Amino acid sequence: MKIKSILITTSSFLFTLFITSCSGDKTEEEIVNAKDTTQVSAEVQKESSGYEIFFQVPSPGEMLSFIKSVGKRDKSKISILNSTENINKYTDEKSKALNFGIYSTDLSYCSIFNLGSESIKYFKVVKQLGDQLGLSATIKPEILARIEKNIDNTDSLVVITDDLYYSSFETLEEGKQGNILALVVAGGWLESVYIAINMVDKFQKDNPVIQRIADQKYTLENLIEFLKKHEENSPDVKQVKADLEALMKSFNLLKEEKISDTSLKQEGVKKFIGGGISLVIDEKVFNEIKTKVLKLRNNYIQNQ
Amino acid sequence: MRKSIILLLSSIAIINLFAQKRELVPQASICGQFHKKYCKLEKQKGEKWEYNSQSRSGLFSQGMTCRIRCVIYKGMDYRMTLCAETALGDKLNFKIYDSRTNELLFDNASADNTQVFEFQSASTRPIIIEVFVPEGATESGNSGLKSKEAACVGLLIEHKKTDIQGFTRY
Repeated sequence: MKIKSILITTSSFLFTLFITSCSGDKTEEEIVNAKDTTQVSAEVQKESSGYEIFFQVPSPGEMLSFIKSVGKRDKSKISILNSTENINKYTDEKSKALNFGIYSTDLSYCSIFNLGSESIKYFKVVKQLGDQLGLSATIKPEILARIEKNIDNTDSLVVITDDLYYSSFETLEEGKQGNILALVVAGGWLESVYIAINMVDKFQKDNPVIQRIADQKYTLENLIEFLKKHEENSPDVKQVKADLEALMKSFNLLKEEKISDTSLKQEGVKKFIGGGISLVIDEKVFNEIKTKVLKLRNNYIQNQ
Repeated sequence: MRKSIILLLSSIAIINLFAQKRELVPQASICGQFHKKYCKLEKQKGEKWEYNSQSRSGLFSQGMTCRIRCVIYKGMDYRMTLCAETALGDKLNFKIYDSRTNELLFDNASADNTQVFEFQSASTRPIIIEVFVPEGATESGNSGLKSKEAACVGLLIEHKKTDIQGFTRY
């Protein structure tokens, strides 16, 4: 009888524990109350010990949306994307992470440029690599059903693929997989620049896509700093950082022109911030950047 | 007796299952997507603001400063919205610098501590956004938090293509 009571009590306790741990979304108040002071102090100390800077890299989708917005709607060339058949070449962690970023950008491209059926193909390779990188809980099979349902709805497809990229990013960041994340971001950025370069038929100084490519100098600076944060104990990140530093040398050849209008104007609620520097690209530098981007991207997709 | 053993074993099995499932789900950081949930402004009809992936959330205590380096492009409008849990007060400070020249481009302290800043830049530039939570923003008694305890701060960045002004050619 005594043993029976102990067993029942233990079972009840364990069951209660299970129920408590399973509780769903917490309210804002609960989040605040749940914060462990010890953990908080550690994070705060790290932050306050000299202004840690977070280096942000705009998502590849933003570059692709820009290309579309400046009138390149008819330029959807599926042949420029990384063939889904290449997936079997990615057997090591570095190539998996880089090409997860590359394929994610290709998936965004298919969504933005209304290539619905191709979106399904690219989702499948993103999912396959994502599973291997520990993202199976983030890239759920239900997303495929959402893509299929919205195959002719560009706006919805863009939202779905953007969400996929952001949630993968967040999962890797929160899971402290910084080295994988760094490679994913590098692959995604490189593919977006590669696609932009392929949208340029002929060099023209005033082509907004060419100017956007020149402006990638600043994003590349941030990306290299981001990689630096994760290169410790990761030869793969170190290698990719070295590759991008070599590319940076070409971006450093861009000329700089000071913008004379430095005024700060108010237009309704919006402020206009004048001044700054304009990066000037000529054909020679453009071609040098193009050659390097093409070569690097080819190395990554061929896993060389 | 037999029933109890079955019950106990079932409970252990359920807990094991749960533990395995939890291993597959990465632990979310404390503030995670705070900016997406709490910094969003009510959408006006016809507004075209799009989420910018350079947005961030973080854990702050009073007196703490954090810097984020972003890139803003010419030809785009940006809207930055700062928000925080009530424990940190409503007078958060944020400054925007040109990261190349360190020129101060905006300081919300000189704009009635506004938590929303809408702007356009004449040039593409790398910027540093400095977020500062002042000391003594709230009485610890009111907020329930001691001054060295922390709460979430979110910085939501949105963008849209600048509208072309004047007559357009067809």
